[in-house]
Amino acid sequence: MAAPNQVATDSGRPETPEKTRYMNPYLAGVGLGLVLLASFVIMGRGLGASGAFSSLVVFAVDTVAPAHAQANDFYRGYLEGVDHPLKSWLVFLLVGILVGGFVSGALGGRIRRMIEKGPNISARTRLLLAFGGGILIGVGAKLARGCTSGQALSGGALLNAGSWAFMLMVFAGGYALAYFVRRQWR
Amino acid sequence: MSAPWFKFGLFGDEVSFLVAFAIGIGFGFFLERAGFGSARKLAAQFYFTDMAVFKVMFTAIVTAMLGLFYLGWIGVLDLELVYLTGTFLPAQIVGGVILGFGFIIGGY
Repeated sequence: MAAPNQVATDSGRPETPEKTRYMNPYLAGVGLGLVLLASFVIMGRGLGASGAFSSLVVFAVDTVAPAHAQANDFYRGYLEGVDHPLKSWLVFLLVGILVGGFVSGALGGRIRRMIEKGPNISARTRLLLAFGGGILIGVGAKLARGCTSGQALSGGALLNAGSWAFMLMVFAGGYALAYFVRRQWR
Repeated sequence: MSAPWFKFGLFGDEVSFLVAFAIGIGFGFFLERAGFGSARKLAAQFYFTDMAVFKVMFTAIVTAMLGLFYLGWIGVLDLELVYLTGTFLPAQIVGGVILGFGFIIGGY
């Protein structure tokens, strides 16, 4: 496992040039907290990432099978009273997240094509695990009405009881399974 | 000026999308700055080799929490108007565990 602030390259060899080092985590946390606070003050709501993916799914289903989308309560909730399923606050937020992340990565010299993994597994296995993990995250976020952004971060700052329960269970689940997938990362 | 500004009608839906884009840039910027663009760095949290996820996340939560508290206290921000997700403990506990599994398997 690479030490903190080291970035594994495609060859698995770590390198620590000055530019690729990450920000002090406490400073980044304050920055993140202020962005979150700005969202509360300006909009009266927190940040979220999974909601935009719901909008994408609804848009796809509505395009391919509009009759099915209209017959389903969940999809209809996203379709009623809007010009377009993708014209949603969280979708615009997600586009901003992509831009902001790219800008930060570019400024830090961290933009490169790679499949990030430990040295002991193949790229194919890593991609399959990423795909499977993504499915679980989608199911979990939908069940809990939010992900690490919408529930843990935003709800956490509001001391929302359900959000804290969710956040603690995310860490519990991660730690419980970490041993079994250690080869992927180390 | 009373906040949340959007809830007091300071601007409409169209402007709110621009606000979302701008806030998103800030959000994505600090996430990447913190190293959260790296699946290995995120996963390292679960092997206690890099505690950045804890440090960043709880610093952010405490920062925003203090801001909410003081802005509410001096009467600038009406906390009643800030959106809260409803509490559904069974769903949130099960959903949290499933997402935690997905987090360490998928890396994000």
